[in-house]
Amino acid sequence: MYELKDQEGNVKNNSGKKHPRNAPQDAGRRKLMASAIGAGVAATSGKALAQTADPIITDVQDWNRYLGDGVDARPYGAPSPFEKQVMRRDVSWLTADPKSSVNFTPLHELDGIITPNGLCFERHHGGIAEIDPANQRLMINGLVDTPLVFTMEDLQRFPRENHVYFLECAANTGMEWRGAQLNGCQYTHGMVHNVMYTGVPLKYLLEEAGVRIKGKWLLPEGADPSHMTRSIPLQKGLEDCLVAFKMNGEALRPEQGYPLRLVVPGWEGNMWVKWLRRIEVGDQPWHQREETSKYTDLLEDGTARRFTWTMDVKSVITNPSPQAPIRHGRGQMVATGLAWSGHGKVKRVDVSVDGGRNWQHARLDGPSLSKSVHRFYYDFNWDGQPMMLQSRAIDEFGQVQPTKQQLRKARGVNSIYHNNSIQTWLVGNDGSVENVEIS
Amino acid sequence: MLRSLSLRLLLVVACAAAGAPAVADVAKGEKLYRQCQGCHSIGPDAPNGFGPQLNGVFERGPGGAEKYSYSAAFNRAVKQGMRWTDASLDEFLTAPLNYIPETRMAYPGVKNREDRQEIIAYLKLVGPDGELPETEKVKANRKRKQPRPLAAEAEIPAHGVLHLGRVALPEEIAAWDIDIRPDGQGLPEGSGSVIDGTDVYESGCAACHGIFGEGMGRWPVLAGGHDTLTDDRPEKTIGSYWPYLSTVFDYVRRAMPFGNARSLSDDDVYAVTAYLLYLNDQVDEDFVLTSENFTSIRLPNEGNFITDTRLAEVKTTVASDPCMTDCFDEPAVVTQRARILDVTPDKDTDEGSSATID
Ligand code: HEC
Ligand code: HEC
Repeated sequence: MYELKDQEGNVKNNSGKKHPRNAPQDAGRRKLMASAIGAGVAATSGKALAQTADPIITDVQDWNRYLGDGVDARPYGAPSPFEKQVMRRDVSWLTADPKSSVNFTPLHELDGIITPNGLCFERHHGGIAEIDPANQRLMINGLVDTPLVFTMEDLQRFPRENHVYFLECAANTGMEWRGAQLNGCQYTHGMVHNVMYTGVPLKYLLEEAGVRIKGKWLLPEGADPSHMTRSIPLQKGLEDCLVAFKMNGEALRPEQGYPLRLVVPGWEGNMWVKWLRRIEVGDQPWHQREETSKYTDLLEDGTARRFTWTMDVKSVITNPSPQAPIRHGRGQMVATGLAWSGHGKVKRVDVSVDGGRNWQHARLDGPSLSKSVHRFYYDFNWDGQPMMLQSRAIDEFGQVQPTKQQLRKARGVNSIYHNNSIQTWLVGNDGSVENVEIS
Repeated sequence: MLRSLSLRLLLVVACAAAGAPAVADVAKGEKLYRQCQGCHSIGPDAPNGFGPQLNGVFERGPGGAEKYSYSAAFNRAVKQGMRWTDASLDEFLTAPLNYIPETRMAYPGVKNREDRQEIIAYLKLVGPDGELPETEKVKANRKRKQPRPLAAEAEIPAHGVLHLGRVALPEEIAAWDIDIRPDGQGLPEGSGSVIDGTDVYESGCAACHGIFGEGMGRWPVLAGGHDTLTDDRPEKTIGSYWPYLSTVFDYVRRAMPFGNARSLSDDDVYAVTAYLLYLNDQVDEDFVLTSENFTSIRLPNEGNFITDTRLAEVKTTVASDPCMTDCFDEPAVVTQRARILDVTPDKDTDEGSSATID
């Protein structure tokens, strides 16, 4: 058992305070800190304030003098070699085979709301299908007036739209139902990404084929070896689904379904069928493997919810987090994270440093788009004492992110999916961060 | 210098007779040839540039470009019997100035042997008229270069609103539409017995799923787990959890065996489905599953699936005004730490945890 020392004092220090820059008592505090660093106490954060001249400044560096690569050296740009740790990672013990498995977005390395294409987590069930767009076909069949086949060229002649949406795997945070397990938001929360899609509203394709009156359900199907299928109510298809061919301005990445994927805003990632080759219209759901054996939520009494499509309101602090500890000493700092809701926009995010006993409003920054992640910041002055950091999102419909205890009470621990509970990071007095559960 | 040249030419002729190099990829050669275009042209009515045009350079022989005045060194070599063969051209292109000292082709050469062969293969195909022979590939390429059909003459299909796409043919729909519903819609004609299913299963499935469906290593478990859904560690299998048999048939037919999907015949799928029922204690060993009796089989857990009732969990979802200060009496206490379990990758241990992902 671990108890926060000086809990009351901490809370008082960090709560009820305006932006620290405006707080008069803070100026004095900062001065104090600077002199402490000057005396060599806080070595980690002292580099920029060192008393001997910094050779990076006083010496001419190689990159100041010698010419670098020309414009022909990097025809498709890649991140700086100094960023090589920024990558998707997988957890090999989760599944039997990497070809039906998952890896995770390094949320702690990113900022803003857009996930770079190469870092969007991957989940596929039969490896990455490599499809020449010349061989891409999309068939619409079933309860339609005219079953149709479209080529990529055909699809690009339909009116198209751009939308930013998050995609979250329903099993995101699924390993944490029974307790704190993985040390890093990449692993606990990294099955989410946020991308601007360019694509054709599905309704145009359905109108082209002419959905019959009896048609109530859609069955999208992938061309990969799992031939992924999910039943989706027609209503959703007409509302906001897209058949997308671009992500963040460029062609879909192969692992994200190149050349064509379905976008099902706010709903479980598994439904966003990749390598999309067919959409069938029917009058009943099909009860496919991914909506019976999987993606059904087993409750404590042995019943299981099915068709739990919407991803509920959720948030997580991405920095600091176990893979991104605090490396500076006490003083001014930024905590940041992501919040999202499959129902719409996030209205508010609160942050607690004492495990949820007291809360402060965080600052939402950047575009606030429906069914997209929102970026939040909490700028505060850390006193260097241990913290139990939490974030709590509230969406525009007033849905509040629940605590782990609340979710477990309602569902037990065997649901696997839809764990949107509040995450706690324990920050130690040395700035290290750990995934914990609290009472 | 000249003597050594003629000696080398002899050698070259001998080598050329030994056989042409393996046929190379024309498109690749054509692409590689682009590095020569600064000085050479190819095509109908190709003009000479700094270097001679190269139409049918093999057939016309060295120095054969009309109206081009070759260098003295080049003309001398021609007089001494220089010929263009695979081998001689290969040597020339490796380092033109070594092969014909003082040639005007002041070009360092193509260092990669395969690249040279691709280029030569391409040059050989170009006829004196500057055209490529009508191979399929070339034809397709040519088509692209030909004037495109007039946009105004494109046919507009009758269907739909925007008149895009084409009508799907019945055999195309049949090839892709293989989904099956619980009411049996989509089931193909056919049948298979538990006995036949044993063979299909043991040869094609057991390696991963275990001989009794118990799952090898971390491969999925397919049988057992009866009455475990309320246990601490439920085992969700076809027999203990799946609501419908149609899902088994549908999924095995579309996705199994893993790595060789769509390889089973419909009867094999019937047989292995029957066998999976048998492994799950749902039928006897002499059972035969058919398109007729299929829907009469009901799985035991069908009734335990309910609709999404998350919104009714009032406590966990809608709360208009969440607490902001002093939300509970005592300070929060850490009850569990991920460090204890330590299953995060990049640590020494790669031990499995009980949690799984689906
Ligand atoms: C810098 C200009 C230049 C480049 C680049 C060049 N050539 Fe040449 N090439 C010449 C000239 C000039 C001649 C005529 C040689 C002479 O008169 O000495 C020639 C001659 C030739 C000949 C003999 C033509 C004949 O009529 O017998 C061939 C074959 C040839 N080049 C192939 C190539 C190929 C293949 C490439 C590219 C890999 C290439 N050349 C690149 C300038 C060039
Ligand atoms: C090479 C290993 C392998 C072989 C061989 C194999 N499977 Fe599978 N099977 C898998 C994997 C992996 C999955 C999970 C795939 C996923 O989740 O994307 C799976 C899933 C299944 C499932 C669904 C399990 C569930 O709980 O949802 C069934 C049913 C199944 N296989 C049946 C079969 C049958 C029948 C055969 C033989 C015809 C077969 N498998 C051969 C690896 C294999």
